[in-house]
Amino acid sequence: MADDHSGGAETGGVGGRLAGAHVLLTGATGFLGQATLEKLLSDYPDTRVSVMIRKKGSTPAAQRLTSMLRKPVFSRWRERVGDDEVARIAAERVDVVEGDLGGNPPVLPDDLDVVIHCASTVSFDPPIDDAFRTNVSGVVNLYQAIEATGTDPHVVHISTAYVAGARKGVVPEASLDHTVDWQTELAAALEARDEVERDSRRPEALRKALADAREDHGKAGPQSAALAAEDARKEWVAKRLVDYGRLRAQSLGWPDVYTFTKALGERAAEQMWAGAGHRLSIVRPAIVESALKYPYPGWIDGFKMADPIILAYGRGILQEFPGLPDGVLDIIPVDLVVNATLAVAAAPPEPADPKYFHVGSGHSNPLHFRDMYSTVRAYFEAHPMPDGGRGEIKVPIWKFPGQRSVERLLRTGERATGFAEQALLKLPASERTRDWMTKVHRKQRELEFLRKYSDLYGVYTEAEVIYTDDRLLALHETLPDDAKERDGFDPRVIDWRHYLQDVHYPAVTAAMRAVASRPRSKAVARKAELPEGTDVVAAFDLEGTVIASNMIEAYLWAKLAGKTKTGWVGELADLASAMPKYLAAERRDRGDFVRTFLRRYEGADAAELRRLVTDRLGDTLLLRALPEAVRQVRKHKAAGHRTLLITGAIDVLVSPLEALFDEVVASRLHVVDGVFTGYLDAPPLTGEARAAYLRRYALKGGYDLAKSYAYGDSFSDRPMLEAVGHANAVNPDPKLYRHAKRKKWTIQQWGRHTLGPVEALMESSEDSQLAGSWGIAAPAGAPEVTR
Amino acid sequence: MSRPGFVLEVDERTPPLLIHQGEGFRLEGLPLGSKVIYPPDSLPGIRDVNAAIRHALLHPHGMEPLPELLKPGMKLTIAFDDISIPLPQMQTPDIRQRILEHVLELAARKGVDDVELVAANALHRRMTPSELKRAVGERVFRAFFPEHLRNHDAEDKANLVNLGKTDHGEDVELNKRAVESDLLIYVNINLTAMSGGPKSVSVGLASYNSLRHHHNSHTLKHSRSFNDPPNSAMHHSYNRMADLLGGHVKVFTIETTMNNEPFPSAMSFLNKREWEWNLKDQASYLAVKRGNDMLPPKMRRKLWQSSYAPYGVTGINAGAPSQVHPLTLQKVHQQQRVEVNGQSDVGIFGVPFICPYNVNSIMNPILVTSMGLGYQFNMYLNQPIVRKGGVGIFYHPMPNEFHPVHHPSYIDFFEEVLAETTDPAQLEAKYEKQFATDEWYIHLYRNSYAYHGVHPFYMWYWAAHAMDHLGDVIFVGADRRTAGRLGFRTASTLGDALEMAKHTVGSSPEISYLHMPPLTLADVR
Repeated sequence: MADDHSGGAETGGVGGRLAGAHVLLTGATGFLGQATLEKLLSDYPDTRVSVMIRKKGSTPAAQRLTSMLRKPVFSRWRERVGDDEVARIAAERVDVVEGDLGGNPPVLPDDLDVVIHCASTVSFDPPIDDAFRTNVSGVVNLYQAIEATGTDPHVVHISTAYVAGARKGVVPEASLDHTVDWQTELAAALEARDEVERDSRRPEALRKALADAREDHGKAGPQSAALAAEDARKEWVAKRLVDYGRLRAQSLGWPDVYTFTKALGERAAEQMWAGAGHRLSIVRPAIVESALKYPYPGWIDGFKMADPIILAYGRGILQEFPGLPDGVLDIIPVDLVVNATLAVAAAPPEPADPKYFHVGSGHSNPLHFRDMYSTVRAYFEAHPMPDGGRGEIKVPIWKFPGQRSVERLLRTGERATGFAEQALLKLPASERTRDWMTKVHRKQRELEFLRKYSDLYGVYTEAEVIYTDDRLLALHETLPDDAKERDGFDPRVIDWRHYLQDVHYPAVTAAMRAVASRPRSKAVARKAELPEGTDVVAAFDLEGTVIASNMIEAYLWAKLAGKTKTGWVGELADLASAMPKYLAAERRDRGDFVRTFLRRYEGADAAELRRLVTDRLGDTLLLRALPEAVRQVRKHKAAGHRTLLITGAIDVLVSPLEALFDEVVASRLHVVDGVFTGYLDAPPLTGEARAAYLRRYALKGGYDLAKSYAYGDSFSDRPMLEAVGHANAVNPDPKLYRHAKRKKWTIQQWGRHTLGPVEALMESSEDSQLAGSWGIAAPAGAPEVTR
Repeated sequence: MSRPGFVLEVDERTPPLLIHQGEGFRLEGLPLGSKVIYPPDSLPGIRDVNAAIRHALLHPHGMEPLPELLKPGMKLTIAFDDISIPLPQMQTPDIRQRILEHVLELAARKGVDDVELVAANALHRRMTPSELKRAVGERVFRAFFPEHLRNHDAEDKANLVNLGKTDHGEDVELNKRAVESDLLIYVNINLTAMSGGPKSVSVGLASYNSLRHHHNSHTLKHSRSFNDPPNSAMHHSYNRMADLLGGHVKVFTIETTMNNEPFPSAMSFLNKREWEWNLKDQASYLAVKRGNDMLPPKMRRKLWQSSYAPYGVTGINAGAPSQVHPLTLQKVHQQQRVEVNGQSDVGIFGVPFICPYNVNSIMNPILVTSMGLGYQFNMYLNQPIVRKGGVGIFYHPMPNEFHPVHHPSYIDFFEEVLAETTDPAQLEAKYEKQFATDEWYIHLYRNSYAYHGVHPFYMWYWAAHAMDHLGDVIFVGADRRTAGRLGFRTASTLGDALEMAKHTVGSSPEISYLHMPPLTLADVR
């Protein structure tokens, strides 16, 4: 076994040519970097390696290397040589250089023979300044750092085939044909953020952001609206910088900021390194995917570019995709790229005469998009994705309608779901509206996904460009025949059907299969017991959360109790005529509504109302209670939690619930001479005031809000829900529902056995003559015995 | 003399038979050879009820006449059966009102000032003011409510007194006012053979601490049936308690019995044997059935709940409980008992719209169980109408509905307890105490109109004997998910139910249908 893998050194492969060399590897933690390091450690026994690794958080670079050596890419090597040997080799042959090319470049060793520069941003549409910082400034910093060592290593600069930009036809392995000045572009890109930040703070922009935020979040309170406005501004800045990048790239002939900056990075390398009389090779891989053979077939680290599309297709989400059936999808397995890179490293060009290599399959062994599609489809038909206990997912059939009609499809879909969402947000809370919301959101998510990948990959999948690889093949031919199998990189060895169906697809779907085969959580799954604790608060909103009724209904119970049914008419008419006023107040602010509505109690007898509640209305309130809520309160109590009812409703009317909670915080009406004035004693606890109350309550009582619970039904409860670790949206209104979904809050569907408002009103009126009514003295107190 | 009870054997000439199913009924053709058990025809009611009351009070059994027991300055408490009987509620004047008026008049004449009226509701929900008024009448209500006319409060520790334990170690804990009175008068309505006698005071005015000794799964499993006191472990316990109680309290009981007229005249066909329906009966069947089916469920419930029974009073006896009760039972048997020859493989029961615990309320699935597998299954003497291991087929739609104020602990019992187990002994051991001592349920029982937290358990124990005895329980026309939660199977028709029962009792089982209401007590020989 060991003989087969003891490296190319003895057999005269590439390894022999790097024997005794000291190689610096940047980007060692990336996909290509890991594979390169593995190859160097396992197959190049006489090569020393320095890896440049960033400190990540508080994890130092050396530790990141240690944990990286435990990753699957090293598993085969580790199995062969054993753990001790891995540790020994790492200690003996690997040095860690802690540093960040984007920030302060480190001091490099002064005996480097080869530098392999793999570091790069992985994202296709980062904000312009981020892209330039990594792909251009990073390059500049690297060459300055090498320069500073005074040595003359051969630099292998990893770029991408797509630096050629958006074009058609054949692209040679040569310096890029453009006149863009990278320094000017770099300076502009780094300034862009300041500019955009400045723009985002203009009063016009802020006014609009604030207006939108108030419309959407106003009910939750001014702080929530302000936060939302600020979030929107930040989002706008990020989007704008992405636009800056994409459009600048496109205006100069590149599809996106990634390829644009990689191209400028190449130019910087040419000028700073080759131009200064050093040796430079530029390797341009196409789309790098899972390994064909080494370290083992199918090795991949995370999802690569084509994989989300493959998975989305397998999950039945991707109904259609832009792409030309005869377009070429230029995929290359990672091990071929590693071999090519090391072969290039071992064959340095003349100083000041950089050489270029395309590592792809498009020229000598093209994979057409239609073939890729048919293998993907055949694969998923033979090995369908499990559908969470509901059988298997059926894959769609693509017709390749072309970019334009896919775009039209997307746009129509986006517009339709946008309208649908706006309409739904205006509907009242009900199980049905929530169900509709869920459907619209699922559709929206699918569309967003499609939009993202359609925009991003359109270029790659509609490519009509071929990257020649004559130089690469020539280099391959220089390998001794017995080394070609293991160290070679001729893309013609790839049998696409075998590679895709037997190696690549199984590799990328493995993780997804494990997740998808788990049965979906049952709708009525029994909830976990509440963890016990005395430092936990469970705060409940009242209306809509603990009881199904609202302030108006409670008022009616009180007002209509004791009146004859004919007397109801006048009362109801009076209330109806005032409704527009109340609705307007409610739209403005919950607190406004509470204040306005409670004016109706002006002149009522406080003691009489209290008695009425005790005698009759308490039970009406219970008729409208949500039994699940009551049960939940009691479960919290049983777990030792402090249960708290926070409501804007007046204390008298909620007094029947006092026994249920540890504490009830309600509004109090101002009383003069036993009669309500219609004013409140203190501002009502609604919206953010409630969250503030809860925070202070927790602080004073020593409760841990992160462990605490809150229950609310309306968007105005949002601040309170956000204040705790366990937020529960109870029968949420559409806005809160949307928010809860985004935040992954628990959504409760309560009220199975609650009576309707009319029934409750009828029941409450039944015994009213006996109980007396509000404001009217009750008959009979003392017994007058019939004798 | 009314016609005695009767067992019909279904033949070719038998018309489809009426079966109750909640707030409705249907006509069902039973397989040939099925036995149908009808009660005796309704006995005639006493014509001059007031005279009968006066007579009972002045000529009691085993005690001095009531006027002689009443002394000025004495402490008098009058307890009366709560809203759980009679069923449905009787047309006014309620018999309780009539008796109370007589008793109070005698007391007033004797100068008794310290009088308290107590509804003996044990762990039942409190009666509302209007329900109290309906039971005791306007005059009494106005005079005594609210200070001197109350509901018994089984959780008012300050007003309960523990009289000690029986020789079986059973606590006897009762309403303090009643126990400390010089005389306790109990006004009873004896609708079934299980009520009255020793049960009145020792159940109606007791606390949970006391009730738990006989209201449990073990006792109920060994009460065969609980309508047959000599064979009922539950009644043995009542007797022991009543014996202990007798040493402390002087009880003057007034027991009454009703005839078999639970339905008003518009629905008199419900009281008749089907083949004797005349044209008018057939027309009213069609009209009522059609109209009833068309009503929205809530309205339908309202209508059924507001139909009051034109009960006639068949007996009024007063005096010492031990002497009065046998006379009462005799009357009950006279009205309800019918001899049946042997058990069957299958028993059919139509569960009606009402049971003792959903007056002015909703008959939730647990109450349906307690009515069907508890009350109706236990309407027997000697042995059940179904053989051991046989199949019980019950009719009820069993919607998943609960009254949130009256039955809050039932909802939790249904959602949390029954989801885990339906075995009476298991859920008793694991959950009863928790529900019984739950502060919120106690609060609702005392201050709102809720049944006590432990009450759903009692209802479940009520069915323990049937669950133990029957090999299979099938509900015809029931909501499948609800019945499933209770551990019962469902069928959409009787044919399907019998098909399902095949597995247990074979393809040609003997079938008995207990035709009730009106109440029918099968004496199975």
